[in-house]
Amino acid sequence: MIRSSRWGGNRLTIQNVPAGRYTVLLYVWEDNNPETYSVSVNGREVLRGYNSGRTGHWERLGPWAADVSDGKLEITSRGGAANFSGLEIWRGEYDGGRPVEIAAEDIEFFERRVRPVLVQHCYECHSQDSDEVQGDLLLDSRPTTLRGGVTGPAVVPGDVENSLLIKAVRYHDDLQMPPDYQLAKQEIEDLETWVRRGAPDPRRTATKIKRKRIDVAKAREFWSFRPIADPAVPTVEDAGWAKSDVDRFILAELERRDLQPLAMADKRTLIRRATFDLTGLPPTPEEVAAFEADSSPDAFARVVDRLLDSRHYGERWGRHWMDLVRYADTAGDNSDYPIPQVYRYRNYIIDSFNADKPYDQFLREQIAGDLLPAANDQQRNEQTIATGYIAISRRFGSIIDGYPQHLTIEDTLDNIGRTVLGLTLTCSRCHDHKFDPLTIDDYYGLYGIFASTRYPFPGIELDKKPRDFVPLLNDGKPGEELAYAVVDHQPADAAIQIRGEPTKPGELVPRKFPDVLGGQTLTDEQAAHSGRLQLAQWLTDPANPLTARVMVNRIWQYHFGAGLVKTPSDFGSRGQPPTHPELLDWLASRFVEDGWSIKRMHRRLMLTRVYQLASSIDESDAAQLAAADRAQAIDPTNDWHWRFNRQRLDAESLRDALLAVSGTLDDSVMNEPHPFPPVDKWQFTQHHPFRESYDSQRRSVYLMTARLNARSFFTMFDGADRNASTPRRDSSVTTLQSLYLLNDAFVHEQAQRFAERLIRDVPNDEAARLTRSWMLSVARPPNDDERKAADAWLARVREQLQMSGGNAADVELHAWTSLTRVLLRTNEFLYVD
Amino acid sequence: MFGPLNRRAALRSMTIGSLLMPGILSELLAEGTDSPSGNDSAKGPLAPKPPHYEPRAKRVIFVFATGGVSHIDTFDPKSSANGRDGSGKDKLMGSVFPYQANPRCGTVVSDLFPHLREAMDDICVIRSMKSAHFDHTEAAVGMHTGSPTFARPSMGSWLSYGLGTFNQNLPSFIVIAPHLPYGGTQVYANDFLPAYHQGTRVIPGEHPIENLTPRTRQASLQQLELELLDNLNGDHLRQRPFDDALAARIKSFETAFQMQTAGPEAFDVSQESDETMSLYGLKRGENTSFAWQCVVARRLAERGVRFIELVDTGSRPNWDSHGEMKEHVPLAKAVDQPLAGLIRDLKQRGMFDETLIVWATEFGRTPGREGKNGRGHHGDCFSIWLAGGGIRGGIVHGETDDIGRSIVRDKVDVHDLHATMLHLMGIDHTRLTYRHAGRDFRLTDVHGKIVHEILA
Repeated sequence: MIRSSRWGGNRLTIQNVPAGRYTVLLYVWEDNNPETYSVSVNGREVLRGYNSGRTGHWERLGPWAADVSDGKLEITSRGGAANFSGLEIWRGEYDGGRPVEIAAEDIEFFERRVRPVLVQHCYECHSQDSDEVQGDLLLDSRPTTLRGGVTGPAVVPGDVENSLLIKAVRYHDDLQMPPDYQLAKQEIEDLETWVRRGAPDPRRTATKIKRKRIDVAKAREFWSFRPIADPAVPTVEDAGWAKSDVDRFILAELERRDLQPLAMADKRTLIRRATFDLTGLPPTPEEVAAFEADSSPDAFARVVDRLLDSRHYGERWGRHWMDLVRYADTAGDNSDYPIPQVYRYRNYIIDSFNADKPYDQFLREQIAGDLLPAANDQQRNEQTIATGYIAISRRFGSIIDGYPQHLTIEDTLDNIGRTVLGLTLTCSRCHDHKFDPLTIDDYYGLYGIFASTRYPFPGIELDKKPRDFVPLLNDGKPGEELAYAVVDHQPADAAIQIRGEPTKPGELVPRKFPDVLGGQTLTDEQAAHSGRLQLAQWLTDPANPLTARVMVNRIWQYHFGAGLVKTPSDFGSRGQPPTHPELLDWLASRFVEDGWSIKRMHRRLMLTRVYQLASSIDESDAAQLAAADRAQAIDPTNDWHWRFNRQRLDAESLRDALLAVSGTLDDSVMNEPHPFPPVDKWQFTQHHPFRESYDSQRRSVYLMTARLNARSFFTMFDGADRNASTPRRDSSVTTLQSLYLLNDAFVHEQAQRFAERLIRDVPNDEAARLTRSWMLSVARPPNDDERKAADAWLARVREQLQMSGGNAADVELHAWTSLTRVLLRTNEFLYVD
Repeated sequence: MFGPLNRRAALRSMTIGSLLMPGILSELLAEGTDSPSGNDSAKGPLAPKPPHYEPRAKRVIFVFATGGVSHIDTFDPKSSANGRDGSGKDKLMGSVFPYQANPRCGTVVSDLFPHLREAMDDICVIRSMKSAHFDHTEAAVGMHTGSPTFARPSMGSWLSYGLGTFNQNLPSFIVIAPHLPYGGTQVYANDFLPAYHQGTRVIPGEHPIENLTPRTRQASLQQLELELLDNLNGDHLRQRPFDDALAARIKSFETAFQMQTAGPEAFDVSQESDETMSLYGLKRGENTSFAWQCVVARRLAERGVRFIELVDTGSRPNWDSHGEMKEHVPLAKAVDQPLAGLIRDLKQRGMFDETLIVWATEFGRTPGREGKNGRGHHGDCFSIWLAGGGIRGGIVHGETDDIGRSIVRDKVDVHDLHATMLHLMGIDHTRLTYRHAGRDFRLTDVHGKIVHEILA
């Protein structure tokens, strides 16, 4: 304990305080007129409306808990003039028991008139033995009574009017206690007398709210918390149908339901499906032709390998990951400060997918790359950049003093929970999870890890200069290039925030992993660091039942349009159970066995019959038609995979395809930052927020993405939320989308470029030009009906165009532009079979 | 009635040609129930849905005054007598503008709003609003979504989701905003609700809705293009009979085609009579003023749009009068007569009782002077007003202390306002939920009390 005396003033600052939890008591006295003021410890208001009393009155206020993380302990007051005359600081939690004895008559009064009232009327809901403590208020000890519950201190010694306990029992306001009846007049008067006397109270030891413990064994009976099994591949009746073990799992369920799968998709459907799936781009006519010409049995496997080797693979699958980690190029505070360096993290994601970085390593780098060993500068830098994942957590508001860091950390935990574990961890921020076996201790056990982490500061209205970015190494020394990345900082356990409010700290919780997932804790040595390294290991421990299951389900979903678990970021009890639990576990086991290789999982899923099924029927086959009608009636949502799910192009694929078809796509990698203005020119405020939008002909994954202002194209076509994890895209059908396709300048521009390209590539042969237009837009030549219809239609269009004049070349270009506009609006172009 | 099989048979056998036979496809689609994703039910996701109970209003016109309107100088005037003119040590400053009571109902309003003061018989002022935040962005987003911090759907999106809309040729939720308010597109975002519930922003001027004007040189060319499109899409659909989304897409081109006509018509005020124009104070040929926004709001209301929002000004300049309260004068002048005109016009047309009008801002301004003659942000209390369907006119709800710093009676927070608005639209705010990420979300989160005292 430190005790210090002083004279006057209303601000006390102690520097170089080791990180940890302290208890503060403040001595105040009044040298002239009564004043009313509030007291704050480290910016947190701990006492409101304190009245200093008449000349000569002094008091020892507190105890208040304070968590020090940046070495500073500061006590301030606001309002009337305060005289701070002394300070006591205790390490840890101290109940503030007074060294002085309480007068015998005070004890007697308490025991005879106060304690019985509290026991009889309050303890049912406000003691440590309550079944469910209400309002986080315990009235069974002095420290908890003074600290109070969610609405503030229950008793302010000596101050009847500011004591909520008295307010409540008087029944004058909204707050009325006990809730069902009013106390007797005498009882109320006794409580008032007690408070007026300074609330003398011998119950010195703070009581604690007993918190829920999870029955871990029972919780682990739930399907997603069970250890991952390695089930045997089922045997099927139609052994010839299956191309792979995955097919056997699928077929077993189809046979059980007597559902007959559709036939295989034709080659052009297949290559268009696989090319959009793996690269987000349409196949070129040459690629289609090559595949059609290749009659070898592994022709499709070669297509898949070629696509996996394409640079565009990482741009497509990296974008899926960017959806999950809510990637953006701005910070999301109310002025939306740009982050010029964050593109390195985007490229890290793309490169990692292209390099087939093992998924467990990919996760470890993003959570704790700075703490992993590195063989050289390049690896060190790559791993530093990877922690951009933590750094891009959302920022809020405009203020620095009292910045709501707890919300940024909540955003981090929310994202790790959903993205990696498929759990809604943040439900436990304010209370134990209502549905899943996660407690408030689990939440703050993780919270402490990120409270011990320094996030970079992107700039904010009231402090415009970015800082705490991490320099990249150059020749072993910090260079000028910066990464938007995190580092360890002042490791300490965090306190529970009562009802999620940082101004109401409860008990400290040691940093740990949730009990239901193993409950691992830090050793003393590890606790001297943030614990991110250990968290990264716990998350990727093969014994963790969720990480591999969640990821293989995502991969499945992106390939097939729906997951085996339909709620890809909620594997808890409110989510949906898997349609094929054995298959999910079998895939998760293979995933880990394959060294967490994502590319091997692509091959495993795509080189199956179920991936290569048609999405629609061949009308000429009556038997098939009947079977399909039956299947549609039994399983309209295609849970059992009797057909392939048709999928609408997502926003990025649509824009990229428009550019690709028109021949104007700049498909280069973007290795430079967006053209943000220089940092020293930044004057963004909430009145003048950052609102730029840098357009380019590059792939959509490289477009600058602002948190606060979405591009209308992306909101129109169900783009990812830039503020929260997006586990799957909607594929809405709206009138505004159709208006866009009808009239938007971008569509008209691409259509004209497309027409120019066609006329340039096929100058004279109109039939060949028609073929090429279809090949480029929908990867097949037109059939005879379409050819006839298009010819007749072009003649009518030309006729109409000629009426309004123009030379022949103009008419030709306009007629073909008209045709290409139609092609770019067709369902066949907008959807992938 | 078509079952899935008959529907398919019908789709296969028919020549689509939806533009030529618009009725058939709509009829066919209206029967659809076997939509795979659920959110593109072929009837159209925006088809009107029944409310939970008998509604008092069919639509909302929500007016948002950006920047934080001073309650003390407008709808909750405080005396500047006894030295409360900003010159004292406490800097307390009563209303900078004179004020008086409406002679009939007695509601006191400052001289900034003479027309609205006259209309107070039809208006309920709430003087006891409490803001969720003290900064513009958070408070503005909070006013629209209930959440000042985390991205959530806007109330217009919630109503679109809950009730659909009457006119399938216009969006369900239209935001007329010359500039974006604080929080940008978040204030009308659908967030996790399906995209068709997002607010469609309209910028006053020649081309209010994006992409509404045919870009082809001749209108007939676009028709030709749609004809070929229908032809190709029809063949395509016949080979893919299980997919309502494809059919809905064909239908959406039909709607888009019609919206090209319906949209501009809705925004074309040239057909309005001189009498109506003068009611709003709108000059002929004018199409960027707030008066134009109000006339268009009425036209959209007539045409069945569910939620219409008018944003009077953007993130700057606006009501954020830190240095000089007189900045309020032109802003008030721009909206006073048009808003009063809107109320009168709706009454004359018999639409007032079925239209809920809400005028709000993000927070009030401090009772103490700031700068030369301005006021700071004040979230602890501020004023808004409501009128129309289900609202008791001529009353004041709630009360602040004599300097306008704190609420002394009947606090109303944003969740309470939202709960009340939903209630008037026939929706129980605790039952309008959307399952997202494992949780049932509500506009009012776990809060919200209906303010029964203001209901007629």
